Amino acid sequence: MSELNTVKSAGVLKTISGKKYRGHLVASETGAAFYEKGNDTPLVEWNYTRLHRMDNIRRGGTSSQVTVILKDDSRYIFELDYGLKVYNHMDQHWADKPVTPKTRGDELHRLAELRGEKIQVPKKHLITRRHPNRSIAGDIGIYLMLILVGAAMVFPLVYLVGSSLKPLDELFRFPPTVWPQHPTSDNFSDLFVTMGQSWIPFSRYLVNTVFITFVGTFGHLIIASMAAFVLAKYEFPGGKMFFALVTTCLMFSGYVTGIPNYLIMSRLGMIDTYWALILPAFAAPIGLFLMKQFMEGLPTALIEAATIDGAGQFRIFWHIVMPNVKPAWLTMIIFSVQGLWNTSAATVIYSEAKKTLVYALQQIQAGGIARTGQVAAANVIIVAVPILIFVFSQSRILETMASSGIKD
Amino acid sequence: MQSQSFGSRFMAMKRDQFHHGLAQAKRNKICYLFLAPYAILFFTFFILPIATSIFYSFTYYNILEPARFIGLQNYVNLILQDEVFLTAIKNTFVIAVITGPVGYILSFLFAWFINELPKWLRAVAVVIFYAPSIAANAFTVFSIIFRGDAYGYLNSLLLEFGLIEAPRLWLTDPNYMMTILIIVILWMSMGTGFLSFVAGFQGIDKSMYEAGYVDGVRNRWQELYHITLPSMKPMLLFGAVMSITSAFNVCDVPRALCGYPSTDYAARTVVTHLFDYGFSRFEMGYASAIATILFLVMILCKKAIAGLLGRVGT
Repeated sequence: MSELNTVKSAGVLKTISGKKYRGHLVASETGAAFYEKGNDTPLVEWNYTRLHRMDNIRRGGTSSQVTVILKDDSRYIFELDYGLKVYNHMDQHWADKPVTPKTRGDELHRLAELRGEKIQVPKKHLITRRHPNRSIAGDIGIYLMLILVGAAMVFPLVYLVGSSLKPLDELFRFPPTVWPQHPTSDNFSDLFVTMGQSWIPFSRYLVNTVFITFVGTFGHLIIASMAAFVLAKYEFPGGKMFFALVTTCLMFSGYVTGIPNYLIMSRLGMIDTYWALILPAFAAPIGLFLMKQFMEGLPTALIEAATIDGAGQFRIFWHIVMPNVKPAWLTMIIFSVQGLWNTSAATVIYSEAKKTLVYALQQIQAGGIARTGQVAAANVIIVAVPILIFVFSQSRILETMASSGIKD
Repeated sequence: MQSQSFGSRFMAMKRDQFHHGLAQAKRNKICYLFLAPYAILFFTFFILPIATSIFYSFTYYNILEPARFIGLQNYVNLILQDEVFLTAIKNTFVIAVITGPVGYILSFLFAWFINELPKWLRAVAVVIFYAPSIAANAFTVFSIIFRGDAYGYLNSLLLEFGLIEAPRLWLTDPNYMMTILIIVILWMSMGTGFLSFVAGFQGIDKSMYEAGYVDGVRNRWQELYHITLPSMKPMLLFGAVMSITSAFNVCDVPRALCGYPSTDYAARTVVTHLFDYGFSRFEMGYASAIATILFLVMILCKKAIAGLLGRVGT
């Protein structure tokens, strides 16, 4: 008896007469046997000439019952103590866990060798179709389209990263290359070292942008979530109308409202302060819109239960609602960051020391083609941040976007 | 005895109603309290500007002098005298008509294609398609790709294959500008709407597809029209709103790529025109009239699309 393929499982054996024996069932490729506890000789033994089959009934996933059926139609019931045990009809033996196709194939071969049999391994289909109503030609077409258009989508970004790593001579080589032959980080160090000695160092723009993005996003998350919470979960006069207004304002970008906004901000004395960028970001319609739609999916019972427990509204909001909408946080964050990080803010901020990264990029760009490398490097820094945030939070963001629809 | 008990019950009911009303009022108060910070900022920076725009559009206002009411003069000048505005309208219209619907349909199609991929590949594909729009400033790389000298990538490629004899001024020649702009805007059009579509596809109940198969849905197009589209209507409308937004608010791309102002105003859009009058010439009244027209057009567009989408899949 080969030890390799022997599986031992502890449990209770029930005979037809109703007697119970505690012990363990041993199964191998030559047969099966039941050993009573503390006894070395088997109580019953079935070799394959007697054994018809062994059935496995899973109960609740963790405990299982095995029926040993003999060829004379008598049967034993073996109840497993613990753990998931699976009897495999294919290779007729016990396993501690469901046998994966790969190991099953391996075991099958080993068994066949031991018994001296030949086993036909079913041929695998080269293309397995997930859906019966999908044509293979269509699948190929879709892959082809995705690869072609995907390449076109990603090419400018690859070219951008490539340019940022090119030394000066390669930037102006004819014909131009996409990827540098001798990559260098000179362009990046130029940004911080060479331009670091200019009137306003490049790092200053970076710090400004990080500050604006961080404060704006954080405030937006809190303020818009509070509003979204009451709009989603309570009915009060004006609530629906307010939300309809917000939905309409999704369409109006910062450019269209830029001029009146400038007039209003100058009245409020906010021109040339960070507030001119941060406060409008707090009220960005897209964040409230997505958060409200997502919060509608929260079970109302959750809030009712907390109200009955005597929790105040703010407690409910902070300790019950907010932790339950974490995926929506990330979505709000990505859209807010996207807006703030990419803002050039040239119209509301005049002091050079308060300007943003994108403004700096535009200034470097205005420096002409001699600065091509630095432009690419600055651009890579600007582009990398939102993309990285998105890469790491994609699944959560998509979860939120599933509730983004406008019900008209 | 009976009446007394009725009376006391009536009183109790009234008291309950009063307390209920009180609780309602108290809850409403809390609701307004929660809404207040957002509402105040929203009204200040989104509603008030729109109202201000409409108000100033009927005045002559240059910041230095107080606003002077001139009726519809701004609108009359815009339409009858301002030739650059007509160019801007024409360009914006061409861009909106091409990039709006095409970008919208492409977003939907590719979200659909991506949905057919295995899960891990889907995640990669979503990043690839969404990256250009999330990295809003990445488009400036096109100023290198389409550069007018022989070092520009496109020029050098075409020169090498002998398709052109001298480098073309892609970004300064009025003949090419609009085409280049449309290409770049389409490249960036897989935005928020696209993301909403991807999520929408994943959120559709799988059992509906199985039921559809049993009912005789034989290929993916039938499945799309009869099952997928009707259950995605809300996302479709959201995507449409996002498309309108990006199609009409084209400003950064022409300014960064084609120069500001561009040669012969060939890349002028309504929003760059608005910027020109607002921030360069400080003719705030005139700029406000442009903004007001844009508001109106966008709202009408949204209404029309909502009406169209109402009939999808029926």
